[in-house]
Amino acid sequence: MPLTNLLCGLLETGVNQLHQLDSSAVIKRKQLNGTIISASLKELNFPLYFVISDQQVDVLNKFEGQADCNIRVSFNALNKLQDNHQLTHLIKTGQLEVDGDIQLVQQFAKLLTDMDIDWEEHLSHKVGDVIAHKLCYHAKKIHQGSLAQFNKVEKQTALYVTEEIKLAPSGLEVAYFCEQVKTLETQADKLLLSLNNKLEQLAVKSNKRLGANSLAGK
Amino acid sequence: MQETPDNKTHFGFKTVEEDKKVELVADVFHSVAAKYDIMNDVLSMGIHRIWKRFTVDCSGVRQGQKVLDLAGGTGDLTAKFSRIVGAKGQVVLADINDSMLKVGRTKLRDMGIEGNVSYVQANAEELPFPDNHFDLITIAFGLRNVTDKDKALASMYRVLKPGGRLLVLEFSKPVYTPVEKFYDFYSFNILPKLGKLIANDSESYQYLAESIRMHPDQDTLKEMMNNVGFEGTEYFNLSAGIVALHRGYKY
Repeated sequence: MPLTNLLCGLLETGVNQLHQLDSSAVIKRKQLNGTIISASLKELNFPLYFVISDQQVDVLNKFEGQADCNIRVSFNALNKLQDNHQLTHLIKTGQLEVDGDIQLVQQFAKLLTDMDIDWEEHLSHKVGDVIAHKLCYHAKKIHQGSLAQFNKVEKQTALYVTEEIKLAPSGLEVAYFCEQVKTLETQADKLLLSLNNKLEQLAVKSNKRLGANSLAGK
Repeated sequence: MQETPDNKTHFGFKTVEEDKKVELVADVFHSVAAKYDIMNDVLSMGIHRIWKRFTVDCSGVRQGQKVLDLAGGTGDLTAKFSRIVGAKGQVVLADINDSMLKVGRTKLRDMGIEGNVSYVQANAEELPFPDNHFDLITIAFGLRNVTDKDKALASMYRVLKPGGRLLVLEFSKPVYTPVEKFYDFYSFNILPKLGKLIANDSESYQYLAESIRMHPDQDTLKEMMNNVGFEGTEYFNLSAGIVALHRGYKY
């Protein structure tokens, strides 16, 4: 039990610390003031209760009252939650289950994920404008550079695996193979069909002959 | 627990006149009030937050309910309950010590908590509330400083609504011997020194350690709660029994 309490505590502190930096969080919290939202991950089935008030967000892991809105969401749908257009799709595909007001879900997702934090501004109070700008500039560069590098490495590894050591087929090869399997399948079906037809014809013929023989025997 | 003669009670390891204890405890808390929060964090290494969080989880409190936070000190639990019960609910922060109450009130107002919280200076033995009034009463780290604990528990039982519950979060007896040894060393050697260092007050923290030893253990307190009428009483050991949360219902 205390371990889950610790987790809730860390989550609560984290969210509220980030909200302190985000100037728009106060308005978002005002909209949701007084609501209690129960949220759980489908994979874990371990509900957390978010008590939202003007002052802060409280996270509880036990609540005996009625929550205003129950959300069950699967892990990979988490970051799609704030997109209004995706919500109906998520519900249809079963990645999101909502019991209550859907508008609350959107506002809640926005509150937790859509934080507008100007890191450069906050940093500048600590270290001064110039250094803050330089640091953020370089951080951005490094982030972009590492993203590009990551993409490149991914592509190269794929090429190496498919072309160099032939460990796995490339996309086109797979498609071609699938095509061939499909043609083979249709041909086999056709053959089976004609064979069946032939067999039926044979059976009919032999039946007729048998019938004729028995008539002649009488 | 050792027996004390008539009209005497214990103040830490000392034995004092019953009517003196209130004053002595008051002096302790007058002197620590200003640094109470920071000392809590330092002395418990932040774990008191988890104990309090567990207490909130066990409270079952809902929107619109009435909560009494007895010996609420600087209002950690009150703040949480105030947000959970919402505008329609009500939380009363009661403490016998006006210094603590003032510190708590200032802190909560600074946090923006207002409207559904009221502050009452009250003695737990004679609570100034009508019968069957509260849905939940909590007393966190306060019961051990009360002179007549049975009277206090009976008074809480009186003001609790049928169906309501009482939560007593209090230091208790560690369940494992090695933990107890370490804990004894910590509370008699390190704790008063830390108190001296941070709050410049080693006597108060010496009293804290002694009063914990004089407090009834888990089963005794459970029995005391049953004796005044609580039902379904149970306790949870936290941090290997250094602290225990007792929960009782009034039906």
